[in-house]
Amino acid sequence: MNCNDCKQKLSFFLDNELAEVQASGIRAHLALCGDCAKVCEDLSSILFACTSETPADIVPPNSQALWCRISNTIESEMEPVQIRQTVGRRGRFWRLSLPQLASAVLGIAIISSLLTVIAIRNYTQPAADDFTTRSAATQTTFEKVLSKVGLVETPQQARARRIKEQQSAILYWDNRVQTRRVQWDTHTREAFDRNLQVINESLDQYSMILQQDPDDDLSVEMLDSVMADKMNLLRDFSDL
Amino acid sequence: MICRSQNLFVPSGVAKTTILLLSVVFFFALAGQVAAQKKFSKTYPAGQNVRLQLMNRTGTVTVEGWDRTDINISASLESPAANIVPQNLSGTIVINLVRDNQGRAEVGTVNFTVRVPYYAMVDIETRIGNLNVRNVRSGLVRAKISSEGDITLTNIGSSAVSAENVIGDIFFDGEVQEGGSYRFSSMRGNINLRIPFNSSFRLVATAPSTRNISLGSFSGGTMNYLGDGRRVVGRFGEGSAALSVTNQQGSISFIRR
Repeated sequence: MNCNDCKQKLSFFLDNELAEVQASGIRAHLALCGDCAKVCEDLSSILFACTSETPADIVPPNSQALWCRISNTIESEMEPVQIRQTVGRRGRFWRLSLPQLASAVLGIAIISSLLTVIAIRNYTQPAADDFTTRSAATQTTFEKVLSKVGLVETPQQARARRIKEQQSAILYWDNRVQTRRVQWDTHTREAFDRNLQVINESLDQYSMILQQDPDDDLSVEMLDSVMADKMNLLRDFSDL
Repeated sequence: MICRSQNLFVPSGVAKTTILLLSVVFFFALAGQVAAQKKFSKTYPAGQNVRLQLMNRTGTVTVEGWDRTDINISASLESPAANIVPQNLSGTIVINLVRDNQGRAEVGTVNFTVRVPYYAMVDIETRIGNLNVRNVRSGLVRAKISSEGDITLTNIGSSAVSAENVIGDIFFDGEVQEGGSYRFSSMRGNINLRIPFNSSFRLVATAPSTRNISLGSFSGGTMNYLGDGRRVVGRFGEGSAALSVTNQQGSISFIRR
C-alpha cells in the first residue's frame, strides 16, 4: 500500500468501516510511514474532539460578529486590489502622446480666447447696439463667424426678438389704455387717436421698407425708435 | 322843449325792461365766467440747486427765468378744476397733475406760468398742450409733450437740452455749450434750431420721410449725407457737443443766430 491509498482510506479506517485485510494493510503502512502516521494522528484527534465536545463548545460565542470580522478582513484585502486596478486605468488614460497633449493645450487656448473675447465684447458693447438696430451689412467678420457657430444672435434674430418684446409691451399698455379711455373727454380721445395714427403710419412705412430691404440700417433704427414712441404714448395716456 | 328834452332822457317802459334784462344777462354771464376759471398762485424760496419738475395733463406751460431766488407758480384752471398739490422735496419743486387727479373722469385745462431763477433746472411735461421755456441758463432743460403741442425754447444756455413731441413744432433758440448734449425729436412737425455760428458740435440729424434737412450756414463742416439723404452725420467746429435731431415726418432746419 502506498501513501495515497492510505490517506484515501484513513477516514474509513478510523471509523472501523474497512475489511480486516485492508485495515491490517493500513496498520502495516502506518507503522512504516511517519507522514501517514502523523496525518492519522491529527485526524483521530479531530474525530475525538468532535465526538467528545458539545456544539456549544465548538460554536463561538458571537458567530455573527465573527462573520463580520471575517467579511471586513476579506474586504480590506480586496480593496487595495481594486484601487490598484483603477489607478492603473487612470494612469493609462492620462498617458497621452505628445501630439495629443499639444492638441489639448491648443484646444483649451482657443476656447478660452473665444470666451474671453465674447465676455469682453458683451461687457463693453452698449445695450442699444446689441444687434437689434443693426443689419448683416454692418456685422464684422468675427461677429458673422460667431453668428454662424450659434454663439451670438444674428441681427435678424436679435431684431425679431426685440420687436416681439416691444409688441408685448405695446399690447400690455394698449389694454390698459382701452380700459381707461372710456373715462376720457372727447378732446383727449381725439388727440390720442390722432397721434397714434401718425405713429402707426410711420410704423407701417418702416415695416414696408424692411420687407423690401431687410438690411436697411436706418429703417431698422427708426422702426425701433417709433415702436418706443408708441409704447411711450400708450404708457403716458394709460395714467389718465 | 322842456317836455321834449324830458322825453329824450327818461326811458320808456319797454326800454326799461330791456335794460334790466340785459343787465341781468350780463351779470350772470360774468359770474359764470368767474366760476369757470380758478386761479392758483404759490411762491417757494429756491436754493442753488433748485429744480422744477412739472407734469401737466392738458394746457400750456410757460417757464420763464428771472433774476430772483424764488419760484413763483401761477396757474389758471378751467372747470372742472384740477387738483394742484405742489411739493418741495429737498429743493425740487414737484407738481404732478396726472398723479394728483388720477381716477377723475374729467379735468379741465390748466395753464401754468412759472417763474424760476435763471439757474434752475427745468423738467416739464404735458400730455396735451404747448410748452414754452425762456431765459434759462441751467444744467438741464427738458420739455416733453406726450402727444401734440408745440415746444418753444428761447434764450436757453443749458448744457443738456431735450425736447420731444409727437405732433407739433419744436423751436430752439440758444447756445450750444461745449461738451453739452442736445436732443430734439418729433414725429410730425418742423424742428427749427437757431444757434450761434461759433457753435461746436457733432451732429446726427435724421428726417427719413421728407429728407428735408437744411443745414444753412452750418453746412460748411464735415457733413455727410447718408441713407439717400435721410440722415446727415458730421462735425461742425471741434465737435465737442452732441446734437441729435430726429423728425420722422417733418423737416429740420438750422438757422444762424
